[in-house]
Amino acid sequence: MNSEVNEIEIQFNLNGQDLKTKVLPGMTVLEMIRRNFKLTATKEGCGKGECGACSILFNGLPINSCLKLAATLTPTDKIVTVEGLANDELMQRIQKAYVDEGAVQCGFCIPGMTISTYSLLKKNPKPTMDEIKFALAGNICRCTGYRKIEAAVAKAAERGEK
Amino acid sequence: MSFEFYKPANIDEASKLLKNSGYVAIVGGTDTIVKIKANFYKALKALVDLNGLFSKEIKVEGDKCIIGSACVMNYIAEHPVIKENFPVLAQAALSVAAVQIRNTATIGGNVGNSSPVGDTIPALYSLEAEVNIVSDEGKRVVPINEFITGVGRNVLKPGEMIESFAIPMRKTKGSFQKLGERKALSISKINLGLSYWNDGKPHYRIALGAVAITVLRVPKAEELLENSPLPLTDEVIQQAATYAVETAKPITDIRSTKEYRKQMAGVLLKRALNAIRE
Ligand SMILES: Cc1cc2nc3c(=O)[nH]c(=O)nc-3n(C[C@H](O)[C@H](O)[C@H](O)COP(=O)(O)OP(=O)(O)OC[C@H]3O[C@@H](n4cnc5c(N)ncnc54)[C@H](O)[C@@H]3O)c2cc1C
Ligand code: FES
Ligand code: FES
Repeated sequence: MNSEVNEIEIQFNLNGQDLKTKVLPGMTVLEMIRRNFKLTATKEGCGKGECGACSILFNGLPINSCLKLAATLTPTDKIVTVEGLANDELMQRIQKAYVDEGAVQCGFCIPGMTISTYSLLKKNPKPTMDEIKFALAGNICRCTGYRKIEAAVAKAAERGEK
Repeated sequence: MSFEFYKPANIDEASKLLKNSGYVAIVGGTDTIVKIKANFYKALKALVDLNGLFSKEIKVEGDKCIIGSACVMNYIAEHPVIKENFPVLAQAALSVAAVQIRNTATIGGNVGNSSPVGDTIPALYSLEAEVNIVSDEGKRVVPINEFITGVGRNVLKPGEMIESFAIPMRKTKGSFQKLGERKALSISKINLGLSYWNDGKPHYRIALGAVAITVLRVPKAEELLENSPLPLTDEVIQQAATYAVETAKPITDIRSTKEYRKQMAGVLLKRALNAIRE
């Protein structure tokens, strides 16, 4: 790191905790959560908005953390990563459904997939297959062929009805 | 990659910063960050963060619908005023990328980036939108069809920013059509915005994107349609499509060939006209 470059102090909320940290002007939220906070569930695939491996919740909505600069964060911004949902009932139900359906192979895409699944089911607890595909359109998986992932989302939704 | 980062407290400060050469405005960052990573900016000195300076909301003020430049695509696509009155814009916003990008990509950034393939641009043309521009020296209004002047070029002078867009408030029917490599996350090979309204007289506005350096209207087709009785016949729609093909002046690039784009201008217009026929 180049210490002559101006570091910017930012404040925001990460997984429920108000925090302060220093970042370089060009640092993305993805780099910050992985390097500064060692939260490594969120992955870098393409680094340009195309694969969804870096998906996080920003003020409750899924975004690509590889395309958001950390320096743009403000004290009212809330970021949630997969780690922050470890005890969340809906996220646990989603993760269990992925395992039960055999929807995880190498696993690289899964944190992003489950974030997209989570925000879909929060908003729409009983999605149709088309709605599932639309909600996951920004997440690429190179292993599974998507069928099992879609089945896992459907199963998580179905189990939520009880 | 070494540059400064500024978070101006107000529009005045932002405007003064943006007068420096090598200073670039950023909001959602979905175009800017991809460009920085690809080394597009040869002389980038600083990013100027406009987040918080412009409205993220849509409001009806008198006879205009005002869309804040910081509105993101999903907000626009789901907004009741837009869905009700300007379906072409709701559809265009929903066609951008995938959900994650639509939650950060702003309409101000889409127009500010001034790419010939920006999806909200033909929609705004078909709705006769105006661009409200602001700087530390005051405000001015530019019709959308005069705003973009070339590939990645627009009329903004150093220090000027897009505050909002104003659309004449009226109930329109409309359709946005686009062709890409696949449904999600694909940049348009060609796109088309169609709006129709009737104030005692039928009005059609047809805007084609990615078939020239800026969006093209198709006045011959608009005139033909406005002078044809409803419901439109298949012959009239076919003739309008032929005019769209004649109007398109596309190029061949990595996304498509000029012959394909020209033909598709007609196909997209037919699809759009059929979509608004009850
Ligand atoms: C994977 C991917 C897929 C995409 N798919 C599509 C697609 O299908 N259709 C489509 O149209 N676009 C697409 N885009 C492009 C992009 O998401 C849009 O252009 C977006 O709307 C830009 O908004 P932003 O807020 O992110 O802009 P930024 O990156 O913040 O800014 C973009 C440009 O506009 C300028 N700017 C921003 N706000 C203002 C303002 N208020 N006043 C003056 N200038 C301003 C900036 O200086 C910059 O030059 C895609 C991008 C990616 C990465
Ligand atoms: S790493 Fe962010 S979308 Fe691929
Ligand atoms: S499981 Fe390997 S990329 Fe999806």
